[in-house]
Amino acid sequence: MANQTENKKLTKQDIRKVYVRNLFALQFGWNYEKMQGLGYTYVIMPVLKRLYKDDPEKMKKALKMQLSYFNTTPAMAHLITGADMALEEELGIESEETVMAVKTGLMGPLAGVGDTLFIAIYRAIVFSIAAYIAMQGNPVGLVIPLLACAAVLWVRYKFTYIGYNSGRKLATSFADKLAPITEAASILGLTVVGALIPSVINYKTDLAFTMGEVTFALQDMLDKILPCMLPLGIVMLSYWLLGKKNINSTKLIFILIGLGMVLGNLQNMLTCVVGLF
Amino acid sequence: MQEISVLFVGLVVLYTVIAVADQISIQCGIYTPLFAATFVGFLLGDLQTGLIIGATLQLMTLGVATYGGATVPDYLSGAIMGTTYAIISGEGAEYGIALAIPIGLLLTQMDILGRMSNSFFQHYADRCAERGDYKGVERANLLGFLPWALSRVIPVMVGLIFGETVVNSINAFIPAWFMTGLKTAGAILPAMGMAILMRYLPLKKYYAYFIIGFIMLAYAGSMFSVMAAALLGLALAAIHYSKNKNAGAAAAASANGMLRIDDEEVEIDG
Repeated sequence: MANQTENKKLTKQDIRKVYVRNLFALQFGWNYEKMQGLGYTYVIMPVLKRLYKDDPEKMKKALKMQLSYFNTTPAMAHLITGADMALEEELGIESEETVMAVKTGLMGPLAGVGDTLFIAIYRAIVFSIAAYIAMQGNPVGLVIPLLACAAVLWVRYKFTYIGYNSGRKLATSFADKLAPITEAASILGLTVVGALIPSVINYKTDLAFTMGEVTFALQDMLDKILPCMLPLGIVMLSYWLLGKKNINSTKLIFILIGLGMVLGNLQNMLTCVVGLF
Repeated sequence: MQEISVLFVGLVVLYTVIAVADQISIQCGIYTPLFAATFVGFLLGDLQTGLIIGATLQLMTLGVATYGGATVPDYLSGAIMGTTYAIISGEGAEYGIALAIPIGLLLTQMDILGRMSNSFFQHYADRCAERGDYKGVERANLLGFLPWALSRVIPVMVGLIFGETVVNSINAFIPAWFMTGLKTAGAILPAMGMAILMRYLPLKKYYAYFIIGFIMLAYAGSMFSVMAAALLGLALAAIHYSKNKNAGAAAAASANGMLRIDDEEVEIDG
């Protein structure tokens, strides 16, 4: 691209520094007022130093602008810091308003895609498989998140350069490009979640009814209809409850603990009731 | 009852600091209950209990993540303390799971306190910016790590130092039916993790894939594993992607003009 060959003020080292700072320190200074605002300023600092170090007035202006409110998925922030670098390199302090617009304009849409892809789907696949293997008493599963993380670090490195090379044009077009990948990843995620239910929710009822000489074990009867019916039922109940306005995950924990108390003591309760007659 | 040594407390505190750093940075996994409980289990010589506690808590909290800075229960500290108590008391994994959950919920407040304290560093940075003191701004962000770390390290230290007292009083007061109930609760709690994920994933649009995954393991669990389901899911995702990629590109072309597409293709490779 023409602008970079003409105007190369940033070194490869600077870009790498921004990448590393984005990886580790974006959320150190997280606070309710400006969220990642302080962290973002720290991340972009190598660029500010390179461009405005000898001009205190410009530095002041840049610092004040960068310290404003910012919040997005950390993995997606690389696209924005990348674009920011390109803009400031090209236009200097004149880029102030554009940088501000890019930051505030992109953080929302990118967080929308990023939270789904890098948090929800990522966890659904990577950590559920690791936990599934660990549940069988095998620590090897713990290697999976580490390998996946290495892949993410590479993707984030690429993001830095995608942002840097496309600068201001980036806008939402990249988020659009991620959409089919997110869709495909959702399919993978849902298949895994479906498979997890029978394999990790180890609940079987021990409830049995005795009628004369014959004992009916409830679990055997349920298995004939649909194996793992109870785990599926409990998941669907939780899913439905989470759709209610006043139920969050904390309340759901208490509901499930209560349900566990009842289900775990069901046979005893039944014996008590039967004993009454 | 197994003793808690000073060395153990020291190592766990060090682990907690690294875990907090991981939680707010690259999230490679050290911060998860899975890793934390496994680490504690390893230190106390009972890896199996650690793995089971960690895996159960992990599955339960799969969908519980901080989106946009929301506070979630501190299951990292919960996992560390729950695993320690389970192993030193010899009561088994369910005991640890049952303790980790209330501890995690209780410590939610510490996270909020930590994030609130960081406003101080934001204000400090704002003052530095007025003077153009960029080094001060950098310092403010780095010091912002302290409230994060302390909000986890303090409860973990206190919890471990008074560990035996806690365990003894719990054992003295909790009836048997309650422990039986908690055991069952531990078995069904992973349902929450699945349910939250299903809320975030487009279940209504792609429920067919959910059914495929469920059926594979429900009817043929001895032949398949979750890994097998993941690979099948990958194949299905690949089919869907290759079918839709062209449709998506065509739609984008009509919207943005062909020139843009060529341009972007190059940039993504570079």
